[in-house]
Amino acid sequence: MPTEPPDPRAQTPEGGTSISGPDPVYLRDPVLDATVRMLVELSAQLWVERERRLVLEQLLESRGVVARAALESFAPDAAQVEAIRTERNRFIEDVFKELRRIPVTGA
Amino acid sequence: MDPSANTSGLPQLARRSDASYLDFVEGFREYILGPGAAFEERLNAALVDAGSRRGREFRDPEDVRGFVQSTTLGPLRDRLARTQQEMKWHALWRSFDEQRGALEQGLADWQQRGPGALHLDPEFQVPAYLNVHFHLQPGGYYKDSLSGLLYHYGTKVFFRGGNDQDELHGALVRTVPLPTDGRVSRVLDMACSIGQSSTAFKRRFPDSEVWGIDYSAPMLRAAHRRAAMQGVDVNFKQALIEQTGFPDGHFDVSFAFIVFHELPLRIIEATVREAARVTRPGGVFGVYDFAGSGGMSPFQRYHRWFDARHNNEPYSQDFCDCDFDAILARYGFKVAAQTLDSRKGGAGYMSRWFATRAD
Repeated sequence: MPTEPPDPRAQTPEGGTSISGPDPVYLRDPVLDATVRMLVELSAQLWVERERRLVLEQLLESRGVVARAALESFAPDAAQVEAIRTERNRFIEDVFKELRRIPVTGA
Repeated sequence: MDPSANTSGLPQLARRSDASYLDFVEGFREYILGPGAAFEERLNAALVDAGSRRGREFRDPEDVRGFVQSTTLGPLRDRLARTQQEMKWHALWRSFDEQRGALEQGLADWQQRGPGALHLDPEFQVPAYLNVHFHLQPGGYYKDSLSGLLYHYGTKVFFRGGNDQDELHGALVRTVPLPTDGRVSRVLDMACSIGQSSTAFKRRFPDSEVWGIDYSAPMLRAAHRRAAMQGVDVNFKQALIEQTGFPDGHFDVSFAFIVFHELPLRIIEATVREAARVTRPGGVFGVYDFAGSGGMSPFQRYHRWFDARHNNEPYSQDFCDCDFDAILARYGFKVAAQTLDSRKGGAGYMSRWFATRAD
């Protein structure tokens, strides 16, 4: 089972226009490129969370399952803490993986 | 967004959050390419204005590139255009990879079922010129066993919701004119990918025999699964479009949907020659593809420059600059109609050709 997508460097176009590598820089400063990427990624993650919360709130409300106060006072057990931590780490990786793409240059 | 919408055979993503993430990308793409951010409108106006001030309009791709990349807006637009594409493939590949075993099993199960038949060639060798990760799709069209399913969901996002039920393919197929004698008993869909035009042709000509051909086995498996799920009887075969293996004059209608811009010029020539060979006299060859650069706005020229290099379309500029009408004519086609089409991305990007094989 693959754990990484096929390597984008292993391409063999015949003539035509040269294609950019996997990490083109558009904004003259790679830090700016990464910052823009992180901003868009963060917006996507924010939307994912908002969409899920909207669905949850609608379900809870329509079914009368959970009161708002119970959400505020919720205390997770150890397994729930671990599950949330895993999700948190995935969230951080999704947003900040761009930091690895900034090349080390200059003094 | 409705993640349960699956009427077109679109595979489910691993989780709801993947679907809402891709829904964001679809909306973001619409925003930056359309009137939301108005990048195209504003940059084109700047190009026209600068061309007017200097007394010479921007036409040469390098000239246009130099101007756009000297602006504040141009490089940011490029960054965002590239980023949304990378985000799409990253999320999509991960979501399908997590379900790889089940998705591969689903493809294998459908391979045994009809209607329609799937003809794969175990000896098939993919030519080096096709080893390109078009549109940045991981592994291109054939290196991943799930390439067809990835392409299906990827194009759903690309068309920004406008082709979820194959609306574009259906509309294009309906506009293909009949052969001179009106008879359609065999149809060839060249480079059929996941078979959206193939099934549309079978629906339009239910009594005809429809063949979809493509070089990619993962695409063809997805095409067969999709057609069989819909109960549409189409044959899919693994073959190069420049070397189909069908007899002379075998088809009444041949069709090629957005493939020519993904071929080197020598293969474009060979493919038109093959289409002329397998399309019978009086038959029709329909093509939908990128418009020639002659009628493009200055910004559209820039977009093509960018798309070729930063969205992995290495052959597209040569196609846009070639005289495709002349190539069709060289191999015995009479071009019956050429219409600049409009789509969500704006008028002028796409063309269609209806060519009749000379009697």
